[in-house]
Amino acid sequence: MNDITAVAPRQNRFSWRALSPWLISAAVLLILPFVLESGTAFTLMNVIAVNIVFALSYNMLLGQGGMLSFGHAVFFGLGSYAAMHAMNAIDEASYAGEGFWSHIPVVSMPLVGMIAGGLVALIIGWPFCRRAGTAFAMITLGLGEMVAAAGQMFPSVFGGEAGIYGNRMVGPQWFGLELAQATDVYWFMAFWTFLAVFAMWAFTRTPLGRMSNAVRDNPDRLQFIGYPPRNIRFMIFIASGSFGGLAGGMAAVNYEIITPEALGLIPSGLALLMAAVGGLGVFYGPIVGAIVVSLMNSMLSDYTDASILYVGLVFLAIVMFAPRGLGGGIEQFRVALREGSLGKRLPGWLIGAAAVVLISLGLVLFIELLFQWRHGDDEFAHFFGLDFAAGSLMSWIWALVMFAGGVAVMRFSKKFREDNA
Amino acid sequence: MLKPIFTFLAASLLLVGTASAETVKLALIDPLTGPMAAAGQPAFEHLKYEAKRINANGGLNGQDLEIVGLDNKVNPQESLVQLQKAIDDGIRYVTQGNGSSVASALISAIEKHNQRNPGDEVLYLNYAAVDPAFTNERCSYWHFRFDANADMKMNALTNYIANNKDIKKVYLINQDYSFGQAVSKAAREMLKEKRPDIEIVGNDFHPLAKVKDFTPYVSKIQSSGADAVITGNWGQDITLLVKAAAEFGLEAPFYTYYGASSGVVTQLGDKGVDRIYQINEYYGEFEDPEMAKRQTELYEQAEWDFYYLRLSTMLDMLKKATDKAESTDPVDVAKVMEGMTLETTTGEVVMRAEDHQVQLPMFISVMKDNMKYGAEGTDYNFKKVARIDREDVSLPTTCRMRRPK
Repeated sequence: MNDITAVAPRQNRFSWRALSPWLISAAVLLILPFVLESGTAFTLMNVIAVNIVFALSYNMLLGQGGMLSFGHAVFFGLGSYAAMHAMNAIDEASYAGEGFWSHIPVVSMPLVGMIAGGLVALIIGWPFCRRAGTAFAMITLGLGEMVAAAGQMFPSVFGGEAGIYGNRMVGPQWFGLELAQATDVYWFMAFWTFLAVFAMWAFTRTPLGRMSNAVRDNPDRLQFIGYPPRNIRFMIFIASGSFGGLAGGMAAVNYEIITPEALGLIPSGLALLMAAVGGLGVFYGPIVGAIVVSLMNSMLSDYTDASILYVGLVFLAIVMFAPRGLGGGIEQFRVALREGSLGKRLPGWLIGAAAVVLISLGLVLFIELLFQWRHGDDEFAHFFGLDFAAGSLMSWIWALVMFAGGVAVMRFSKKFREDNA
Repeated sequence: MLKPIFTFLAASLLLVGTASAETVKLALIDPLTGPMAAAGQPAFEHLKYEAKRINANGGLNGQDLEIVGLDNKVNPQESLVQLQKAIDDGIRYVTQGNGSSVASALISAIEKHNQRNPGDEVLYLNYAAVDPAFTNERCSYWHFRFDANADMKMNALTNYIANNKDIKKVYLINQDYSFGQAVSKAAREMLKEKRPDIEIVGNDFHPLAKVKDFTPYVSKIQSSGADAVITGNWGQDITLLVKAAAEFGLEAPFYTYYGASSGVVTQLGDKGVDRIYQINEYYGEFEDPEMAKRQTELYEQAEWDFYYLRLSTMLDMLKKATDKAESTDPVDVAKVMEGMTLETTTGEVVMRAEDHQVQLPMFISVMKDNMKYGAEGTDYNFKKVARIDREDVSLPTTCRMRRPK
């Protein structure tokens, strides 16, 4: 991971160039609600927003601090529980019309989650941070399992299997946000996501953010020059836990329910999946990953029974063949554009992309045929207006041809692609 | 200018379909892919099969019923996304069964949706989420449960045990989470009330879906001298538990909630015979020729057994309600479904108006070999032992239903 720069080179003077990604994303966030109409689109965007913050907070640990964690959902979940309990306190206090909580708006729930996540990390983190690598991964795995098991065993706090639910339409309203529909919640999400992403980016520019790269790359050297790696890791751990909790607070408002499953290994794995698919080495990588993985999770199962298999395959393919992730690819493209070498490199990339598309089409067709054959469905698969059925030999040959064609293109263009890389 | 392009993209990407006026869609939000698919797929096939029958008999108030499967991966948050998809697709009826966590999310989401979107109400038909709270302190006007809740099942089971004088010592073993704890608590309270002489010789909780070898638990049961074991276990926890008991040579029968759920019969085989009892709304003899026909046809078409009599009951009642209301609008349907009765193959069932909890007779059955209609392609199935009448299953409710004006 040493060759990757996780942060842009420092620029001290104000420049529109540095500011442009923020302005563009703010503009996109402002425009999106006016071009999308369906409730599903808003619901999905809200899910994506939560996942963006969650994935980025995870990448503070893994991508920037070099700490592989399997228990990040603990902070997300506990932040979410804290926010949910706070929301219910607001509900009760506003009926009584008095008390501290009756003055707190639901809009501020992510802050409650953030404080909770940070506190949990502060309390439990110190012993974990002595080592990175396998030891850290194992400890966080144990932590995740332990908290998830405890979540099922203490119904008074975690609500048992049915979880804790609340109502976001309580307490004082800010900015006229009623939070009734997903469209209202969108503005809440856009605000907090933008703020959190900016804060996490700003974190990478602080001395501590820079030290976190150093502790990832060479902890021994860091020790020599007088910075104990454990302290640095502990501070990153707290920051990452806080932002994980913030994402949890956003989730509490979005879903209005939290169950103990949210603490377990599956959501922790989701964070890793999103960060890795998007790219660990680029700051915006996890954002791309969160968008892609959330959409795959929610939409793919409408089209195929093998959806989970595809998510796994995408993860596998990226880890094996494109370890820099989707964000890494975008970054490569951007660098080429800046250096003016795009014209030279583009043909090779396009050929490579064509090969990948062919191979994936062949694989997808093969998997779909296999499923059709196994489940005895008589429905046809449609590709390019062609009908494929598991019964006919031609379909299987097509799958093989596409796969082999892709591999062949990959092979024969190898020299050309390397020469022009 | 960009708007049409974006809406087109959104429409093609997000499946914003157009709901045709002739069909009534019922969305099944359950695990349909992945490791838990074996829990959702049988219900999906069942519903599709039953929908054909309903449509052949005139449909819902003259309109065809269509079943739409939406995969939720047993995740409450994901279920809410799928619910939104269903609502956008113009679907007004939702059904779900696997996981009280999902049911909890759906109940509160649908309650809020209906409050915030008058005129676009959604009705939730619950076919298997058994947390008693949903028809007691958390009861909702928009939720109808077609399965007996966990306490009703225990009520039926303990009524059976109370009449069985051979049972003097009972052992409880359950999964350590809210459902397992609730089963254990209900068993202790009801047995104490109905048969004070029965001794609870053990009350074990084991981690959920983590135990691979139940032998230590089984040897504890053996040494306690129990005459019967009560367990709410499901999934691998029931299969491995009974397997360990058979290998250990434990004689005591297991009274279970989910002894006949998919996979158990195949995995247990001979080891389950005369050992595993279940309390359910139906059993595996199919002496009614109509039910036998459904079992045979469903197994031929989809390789799933006719396990969910309650899904048939649910759709039949939905048909009766839409026909009676002469409307397929959930608001009208909910109104007439309250207190509705329906004659089924096992007797009359009632949708109690007070709490929207179905009241139905239940059966204790035991796994036997050489059955006429074997489950999962084997020769094993569950043979009726006792019928528990509707009145003996029923329990009072604490529900104070808030009805819309």
